Amino acid sequence: MEEIVPKFNYIVVVILMMTGLWSMLAQSNLIKKCIGMAIFQTGIILFFISIGAKNNASIPIVAKEPLGQVLGQAHAPEGSQPPAKPELAAAKAKVYPDPPDVNKLTNPLTQILMLTAIVVGVATLGVGLALAQKVYQQHNSFDEDEILENQTK
Amino acid sequence: MAELPIWQYDTLFLITVVLFGVTALTMQNLMSAAIVFGAYSFLMCLIWTAMGAVDVAFTEAAVGAGVSTVFIVATIYNTGASAKPRKPRVGFKLFAGAVAVATGAFLLSALPDFPAWGDPQSPVNSTVAPYYIENTIRDAHVPNIVTTVLADYRGFDTLLETAVVFIACIAIYSILRVDSAKSTVDEPDIIAAPPAYDPTDSLIIRQASRIMVPFMQIFALYVIAHGHYSPGGGFQGGVILGASVILLCISFDLKFVLRQWTEKKIMLLTALGVLIYAAVGVACMFMGGDYLNYNALDPVLPGDMAYARYYGILLVEIGVGVTVMFSMIGIYIILASNGRFKRGL
Repeated sequence: MEEIVPKFNYIVVVILMMTGLWSMLAQSNLIKKCIGMAIFQTGIILFFISIGAKNNASIPIVAKEPLGQVLGQAHAPEGSQPPAKPELAAAKAKVYPDPPDVNKLTNPLTQILMLTAIVVGVATLGVGLALAQKVYQQHNSFDEDEILENQTK
Repeated sequence: MAELPIWQYDTLFLITVVLFGVTALTMQNLMSAAIVFGAYSFLMCLIWTAMGAVDVAFTEAAVGAGVSTVFIVATIYNTGASAKPRKPRVGFKLFAGAVAVATGAFLLSALPDFPAWGDPQSPVNSTVAPYYIENTIRDAHVPNIVTTVLADYRGFDTLLETAVVFIACIAIYSILRVDSAKSTVDEPDIIAAPPAYDPTDSLIIRQASRIMVPFMQIFALYVIAHGHYSPGGGFQGGVILGASVILLCISFDLKFVLRQWTEKKIMLLTALGVLIYAAVGVACMFMGGDYLNYNALDPVLPGDMAYARYYGILLVEIGVGVTVMFSMIGIYIILASNGRFKRGL
């Protein structure tokens, strides 16, 4: 239990990959194979996202500090003479803490790798479905055994 | 056991997700399997929100739960929905199960070496990633770190990913497309299982989508433009824009959309997005910098050096959005019309 509970995410990753692999091997239906491929893919994406997750961390967007507070801090200690109007760009850059606390934000790197992988995944799923549809036009079936029978005839 | 490093809701979701995945694969009716797979994707999106990956969750909600379900449904609509196998193949299924379990056991044998779930000091979280978190604001003035890494630090990667989407679109065209002008065979009645009612007849669906589509498109433009500050960006906004046109295809008729968006126009616009992205890189070279180094665009863009990166990111996000939008529309239309660009779901 000590071993399983803190690493439960990896176990689910392996289960999802096993399910997808089994489906790609064993199912005779071509659409089911495509769905299996997509499930295998989500298993891998889950692996990447869960290793990038951190306890007690927020989303990887740097939180803003109130603009007025930043401007106030800039000229509060002087008091006597209000400084020249601060340049907006400089003020905007100061609104965010620099540098942000690394442990308070989740890992953005694994997320961006997976973000593009999802979009490419749907494009490859489309290619798979197009191939399946073409096979259906030729053999009038999605079933692997029937297609093989038609070919050997 | 002081404090378990575990998130109870995540555990619950993870178990549910496995159940949904297995259900989607064991269903006999393909249409039900597609819908359950959509639900599976949606649960995945909840898991990723819980793990702090909001951009990934957004993409998954638009792509996995939305568009890929529609692709599968469009394929099934043109073919057959029954997945009943001719032969049971019990022996082979058990053999494949044994192979899958052996692979799983092999992977699980590495389990003790992995860092605990949510450990901030694990190698993946403590080596290269802190650089991006610490420097994004200074380099590009973009609070959303994912957007910056996507379009700036790893700009080459995203350019080629966009090209992959474009190439996949070309591949689908070359597999399925039938030139109906040259085709001598009359279009066969390919729809195996016509629906019990014609969805295009429904006044409610048509009027509801007529109202929804403009708001979807405005929201998508907001997602592209506001991706610097909130979850979103070119991929998500592009998919939502594509989904709004796909909604029109489904609720009205394919012909209704094809009057505006011909096959040629869709393909040209898909290429245009990649061209915009690549042209930004070439413009950087003309201004004297490296390819896709937006700092070189500083003289023509407003603001200081970091704002050049800010606007450079926006430009390439627009390119990504255009390519993703039109490739989604193109893939849907060609899958739904069986390659003939005439009629379909």
